[in-house]
Amino acid sequence: MKWSLESAEKSSAPQRGGNDADEFIRNNVMMVTLEDMVAWGRKNSIWPFNFGLSCCYVEMATAFTSRHDLARFGAEVIRGTPRQADMIVIAGTVFRKMAPVVKQLYDQLLEPKWVISMGSCANSGGMYDIYSVVQGVDKFLPVDVYVSGCPPRPEALLQGLLLLQEQIGKQRRPLSWVINEQGIIQREKDEVQRVVRGPERIAATELRSPDEI
Amino acid sequence: MLAAEQSKEDTGRVVYSGPANAAVEFLKKEFVGDVLAEQANCDRIPTLWFDRAKVKAVLNCLRENSFAGSRFEMLFDLTAIDERARVHRDGQPSSEFTVMYHLMSFSGNCDMRIKVPLFDADLVLPTVSDLWSNANWYEREVWDMFGIRFDGHPNLYRLVLPPTWEGHALRKEHPARATEMEPFSLNDVQTDAEQEALKFKPEEWGMQKKSEDSEFMFLNLGPNHPSVHGAFRIAVQLDGEILVDAVPDIGYHHRGAEKMGERQSWHTFIPYTDRIDYLGGVMNNLPYVMAVEKMAGIQVPERVKVIRVMLSEMFRICSHLLFYGTFAQDVGQLSPIFYMFVERERIFNIIESICGARMHPGWFRIGGVAQDLPAGWEKRIRELLDFMPARLDEYDSMVLNNGILKRRTQGIGSYTTEEAFDWGITGAGLRATGYEWDYRKQRPYSGYENFEFDIPIAENGDCYDRCAVRVEEMRQSLRIIKQCVDNMPAGDYKSSHPLTTPPRKEKSMKDIETLINHFLSVSWGPVIPPTEVSMAIEATKGINGYYLVSDGNTTSYRTRIRTPSFAHLQMIPAISRGFMVSDLIAIIASIDFVMADVDR
Repeated sequence: MKWSLESAEKSSAPQRGGNDADEFIRNNVMMVTLEDMVAWGRKNSIWPFNFGLSCCYVEMATAFTSRHDLARFGAEVIRGTPRQADMIVIAGTVFRKMAPVVKQLYDQLLEPKWVISMGSCANSGGMYDIYSVVQGVDKFLPVDVYVSGCPPRPEALLQGLLLLQEQIGKQRRPLSWVINEQGIIQREKDEVQRVVRGPERIAATELRSPDEI
Repeated sequence: MLAAEQSKEDTGRVVYSGPANAAVEFLKKEFVGDVLAEQANCDRIPTLWFDRAKVKAVLNCLRENSFAGSRFEMLFDLTAIDERARVHRDGQPSSEFTVMYHLMSFSGNCDMRIKVPLFDADLVLPTVSDLWSNANWYEREVWDMFGIRFDGHPNLYRLVLPPTWEGHALRKEHPARATEMEPFSLNDVQTDAEQEALKFKPEEWGMQKKSEDSEFMFLNLGPNHPSVHGAFRIAVQLDGEILVDAVPDIGYHHRGAEKMGERQSWHTFIPYTDRIDYLGGVMNNLPYVMAVEKMAGIQVPERVKVIRVMLSEMFRICSHLLFYGTFAQDVGQLSPIFYMFVERERIFNIIESICGARMHPGWFRIGGVAQDLPAGWEKRIRELLDFMPARLDEYDSMVLNNGILKRRTQGIGSYTTEEAFDWGITGAGLRATGYEWDYRKQRPYSGYENFEFDIPIAENGDCYDRCAVRVEEMRQSLRIIKQCVDNMPAGDYKSSHPLTTPPRKEKSMKDIETLINHFLSVSWGPVIPPTEVSMAIEATKGINGYYLVSDGNTTSYRTRIRTPSFAHLQMIPAISRGFMVSDLIAIIASIDFVMADVDR
């Protein structure tokens, strides 16, 4: 690789013109609509509810620790009570005995609220097609993002969170309190991940061998 | 292990190892004519059948007397089998249901099974919850799962399934799949009804609402509470801040693993074992695959044994680190867990590079492991071995030597060795009382007899000691891992026995017999000869045992999973009475359980 250094003053990048006042305004004033501003704020300050059911919760907790550091995305303020939280990660298997409890906790979350279904069990029952397990938390809760895996890696949860944030950032909601229908407007259709990354993955020809580290 | 110590006399009668043999002789003399049968199994644990009218006297006799100098201290397991669909029952008395008591002698290092035949029309037998404290939950579980009643049991309520449940899940006529049942629905009315049914009612438990001078408060902790480590609920009766009594409520994490075992083939059940103690990873595979190997008569190569030990010990460290961090967190130290997760990530890195997954690799196989170790596997492990001891020392100064932590945990929730036996406590919880007993040492499996390591013990059996024992165990695990890396034998990663699953492929394209065997074994799965077996290991949380009944089929007839956490949770009320609520949190944290290991 070839590279060279030159001093910053000689940089050929285009320079902004204008006087100091223009510069000051550019750096400090932002023109947006109020709804976009609120959506931006919501998106970057999700407060998750401290809730876990089984194995997936361990990986969810791992996402909070230093290597993965969920705090980078403004979603590290886990709350012990649903009344202070606006997002619940259904991390683990949803059991028949636990389902009414999950339902009640969800009902107690503040509006607007979001649900991430983490792991195969919460998504669909997964490998537990058994009498005591609800076949997917979406049997009784609306789910915004499904994260696949058994359990999903912490990175997968981070990606799920980013998807949710993207979705929240594009949503317009009424600014005041609304009863019943929330009047949410989706501004852009969400792109399905598979469509976005599919061609890239299919194009891959060299896969790493499992026989060496 | 035991099988080696055992021989057949000229008369053809089976002789068991020391104390077990003495006990069998004693029972045969004491209860002349009452022994319905003596069942022979491939694990050679003496199995005697008695009528239900006699069983309590028999169990009491085993509990009270000493045989060749040792006693049967612990009711290791109590469960039942629905026999109605079973074909191979040679030499067993006829029955529709069988209740099985598994006793364990620590001092004599042997086991004993007592079985009782029952019929569907009259499923009653006397309780033994007055003989062993831990029988209480086991009997409730049998009632819940099979509908067998125990006369004289103080609170024979459902333990695992919701109180509104209909039927008994482990009976053969009960559906296994959720998709065979009515589709699940949950509207507001149902939610309220279910919640009402779950409501704690002190009267049911014989609890007083007030004493002479004060009115009690009933506090519901869980099933979702940051300090109860999962979906676990405990209702506590408080006099001010003092805990008068507590009633743990479990079953919020019941994944029906035992029923699942009756449906999955021997091979495809392996991933389900990973999720029993979900912090133990592949260590959970070990008792299961060893049990199947014992039934099939498979001897695994030395390399397989050492790989299994190495990975199991890594998961032991992983699990203990999580315990260590959450223990400190629950008594108020928030930062250690963040340090400890760094180590966990390091270990998961290694696990992932060998097995391809982090928490649940499901990597052991019947007769071997899934794959050989990848090239360059030892590099990261050696880095870990260099890195970790210093970190453990740092954690000692951060956590174990912390004055506040000591005051919060020393002298809290202590019990004696005798109490531990009475409640079925195994693992670090037993060793913290000063009793040196480790399955890996006393009954070496998978080649543990070839390793040098010590069994850490403590003295007081309190919360602090339970933590200290586990911390030292991590150092011993590192020692074992080092020996594995230094002395990894060459050889196959899979046995050449025909029941090894998946079978070896090399010869299948060269001769027809091997091809047929390969085809059947891959499409149907192996057919295991009819017998019964118990196999246990020193798991991360205590003794984890599998009791498998094979009816000569591609699936297990009955899979019983004896988990340590189940017994440990039951003891909480007994060791927390008289303490404060904050001490209860320390006690719960010190037990080191996961709910999947309790409810399965």
